[in-house]
Amino acid sequence: MILDVLRSIRTSSSSSTTTTTGGRIILQSFGFYSVSTSKMRDIKVKSDSRELITSSDEEEEAAAQIIESVSIREKEISSSSLSVKSTPEIEKKYVHRVYDAIAPHFSSTRFAKWPKVAAFLESLPCGSVILDAGCGNGKYLGLNPSCFFIGCDISHPLIKICSDKGQEVLVADAVNLPYREDFGDAAISIAVLHHLSTESRRKKAIEELVRVVKPGGFVLITVWAAEQEDTSLLTKWTPLSAKYVEEWVGPGSPMNSPRVRNNPFFSLESIPETEVSTKEQKADNSPFIGLESIPESEESTRELKETKASIVEQKEESLEALKKSQQEYFVPWHLPYHRAEVSGASASALATGLAKKDDRKGAVVYNRYYHVFSEGELERLASRVGNAMIVDRFYDKSNWCIVLQKAALNQD
Amino acid sequence: MRLIVHNMLSCNIRGVVNKFPLRIEPEKIIVKEVDFNPDFLKHMIAKIDWKALVDGARSMGYTELPDHAPDTTTLESDEPFLRKFHHSLLELHLEEGSLVCSETGRKFPVNKGIPNMLFHEDEV
Repeated sequence: MILDVLRSIRTSSSSSTTTTTGGRIILQSFGFYSVSTSKMRDIKVKSDSRELITSSDEEEEAAAQIIESVSIREKEISSSSLSVKSTPEIEKKYVHRVYDAIAPHFSSTRFAKWPKVAAFLESLPCGSVILDAGCGNGKYLGLNPSCFFIGCDISHPLIKICSDKGQEVLVADAVNLPYREDFGDAAISIAVLHHLSTESRRKKAIEELVRVVKPGGFVLITVWAAEQEDTSLLTKWTPLSAKYVEEWVGPGSPMNSPRVRNNPFFSLESIPETEVSTKEQKADNSPFIGLESIPESEESTRELKETKASIVEQKEESLEALKKSQQEYFVPWHLPYHRAEVSGASASALATGLAKKDDRKGAVVYNRYYHVFSEGELERLASRVGNAMIVDRFYDKSNWCIVLQKAALNQD
Repeated sequence: MRLIVHNMLSCNIRGVVNKFPLRIEPEKIIVKEVDFNPDFLKHMIAKIDWKALVDGARSMGYTELPDHAPDTTTLESDEPFLRKFHHSLLELHLEEGSLVCSETGRKFPVNKGIPNMLFHEDEV
């Protein structure tokens, strides 16, 4: 590739200085460099890169120790489309609400730019429109001053923080991006997909990233790895246990299909963890599951039995998978008391049991849901996205990363 | 929200055909100056849905844009046009208002310059 001669570089400060002049706000928010370079830089990782040993760039709080070797394997069934459409309870409670509550504190700890992400962004051509889906506090927005960044995140408090920095942002869901096709030059998804609780949602999010970039455009995705570099850091992760199967199989999960939900004789509301309450249930294998008082009517008996049996089966399979490979975790976030008071959200979080107090640390402890990815999992998921190719894959700082390229248009 | 973002926003609700562009119902508009960058503007010409930009700018009170973008070959030398393009694409901000889907009438609010483009669960 030919590198054009550098034209004079116009620099402007990337910090926004505002002065109001008669109602108009003068804001220098972009420093476009007049540099033309079209070479895409190679971003292959050095095989022994161990720059910083933290569990990832994202989490400075998490310590590592797997407490149990229980795990949940993902169960994909035909109603997975439902789980894509509606946000599962576990994400509402242990991702959305948590980030909303911790946003300013979280943002204050998110400043280190991950070199691999920076390299990807800096390799993009001048003037690229870069979409950051799940941008958080906007750490990467504007990182390459020659490009135009548009960020979105599901957390309004985090988006507000981005907006206050002069970034172009909106509130949106990574599983359903409100963008038309083919507009972006590139897209990034940095430490986002691991907060999606079903495989179909994770795949949909990848499809969305590919959809919104132009043919030939690049997508960088990074997720937390199950294989953490420093396993001693895992001490404070809590593996998803049977208690949370109920959360996980709340609205939005395959277990909560309309057929089940709308059946007046069937209620999933109070599923006791230890009771075995009906004859239909295969009691021996599932001490954690109870299906409470389901009256039978003449008309729907057979259908009910089939429904209940399949529900029980699914729960059993989930718990079986629990024992195989642990990839579902709660990772704590310690919100210092003085921060918690400022945010105000913590009072109700504590009241509802969403968060706990740790007086020893002087912090409110929230749990964030993670599905950490095993080796090859991200690749397998991405390879099922039809119109994109994996052009790079690497492991860095306890994250699995891939770069996809959207298929170019056919040239007849 | 700048018009560069508006030019991308789409009402991706299941079953909706006419999802783009969204109609702008402004309540508060501000102007923020941005450094003029012709190279960036030329890159954007190819991406932009011109009609959506013109209509969007009009709804924000800016009527200087021509109905059609000029030929790309003449763009290099057409600074007055580029200035208008620059102004409409990057300097007009919708601070408060709504983005409305023409087909369904669904409104997406814009507050403090931030659009809320979350779809409801029964919409996707």
